[in-house]
Amino acid sequence: MADQDDSLEVLMKQSLAGDQRAYAALLQATTRLLRPFLSKRLSFANEVDDLMQEILISIHKARHTYDGDRPYKPWAYAIAKFRLQDHLRAYYSDQLRHAVDFDELEECLHEPVTESVMSYESISGEVEKLPEKQATILRLMHQEGYTAKEVAAKIGMNESAVKVAAHRAYKVLRERLER
Amino acid sequence: MDDIERLVNNLSQDVQAVKPVPHPILLSLRWLAAAFGYLVIALVISGVRPDLGLQLNHPWFVAEIAMLAAILITTASSAALLSFPDLHQQRALAFAPAGIFALFVLVIVCAWQGDSPPAPLPLHSFECTLSILGISLLPTAAIFYVMRRFASTHPGLSGTTAVLFAFGIGALWLRLYESNDSILHVIEWHYLPMIAVGLSGLWLGKRLLRW
Repeated sequence: MADQDDSLEVLMKQSLAGDQRAYAALLQATTRLLRPFLSKRLSFANEVDDLMQEILISIHKARHTYDGDRPYKPWAYAIAKFRLQDHLRAYYSDQLRHAVDFDELEECLHEPVTESVMSYESISGEVEKLPEKQATILRLMHQEGYTAKEVAAKIGMNESAVKVAAHRAYKVLRERLER
Repeated sequence: MDDIERLVNNLSQDVQAVKPVPHPILLSLRWLAAAFGYLVIALVISGVRPDLGLQLNHPWFVAEIAMLAAILITTASSAALLSFPDLHQQRALAFAPAGIFALFVLVIVCAWQGDSPPAPLPLHSFECTLSILGISLLPTAAIFYVMRRFASTHPGLSGTTAVLFAFGIGALWLRLYESNDSILHVIEWHYLPMIAVGLSGLWLGKRLLRW
């Protein structure tokens, strides 16, 4: 382990001198180092990959602040943590922006959403144009007849999140079909 | 080849020799030297208070000036450390200004208690705040300009220490220039505005030190 740590510092020193091979090896080693850290904190693999790319770019931009005389790992982790916080802040503020008022949701849940004069088949073309998650939820609920609870269990979400996603999908569909 | 491999290849092909930035101690010494030079120039232009020699015999005045100097030194070193993503792995030193500010408050409270009978309040008031603001603008702009070249992972805190450093210069200049013995005036129109403006550095840092 000590050798590996030493080698990261050596690789960074060589990178600062302009050694392309050392830099590629350092970035690969950093990716291996940080992936478990990010995987523990994020749910989806694509999120981990996106954030990993941002972190590598940040390491590239900030490499002049590393002199090779102090341990590399705390420096890299500090950048990773900073970018992770940025990512989570953006994610949650986005969630808040798109949050649905519970009163509005309550009214809608009383509506007979499964008994419509319109059949699922007649609007399946529009459903498929929805984001993948919403389309899957509507397909499972209205084509295959699952309840929101069953859909939640099937796709690994909680029940209220399924209802919210379905509600958003109904809203979009209503707007599109009324046009 | 996945996206990360492609990115690693692109970044490594672009890499060129880079000169690491100076050590934070050297960096803060440079900032302190610049601050000292600026303070001397400001005092040469404005002149020092005529009773400075007399004031230097008062222990609480000397303690206050010493604390202002300590604030300058600690905020400069803290701002330098906070400019590095990992605080140059000297976290305790980066938060040293908090302790110095606590001591400063203690010194001011003692000076206030020792101000008996209280010195008369001067006729002016907010002009002192404006003077500190005027003197501090250039150092604020300069330090933010320099810090933007770094990569702070604590932009709000970096902004606060940078603004406190710059306003420390202004506050020190005014204490050496203005003939005023009222500690109440100094608290109300020198130090409280300085701390309030310092807190605005939190906002400024978050906007100017993002990278």
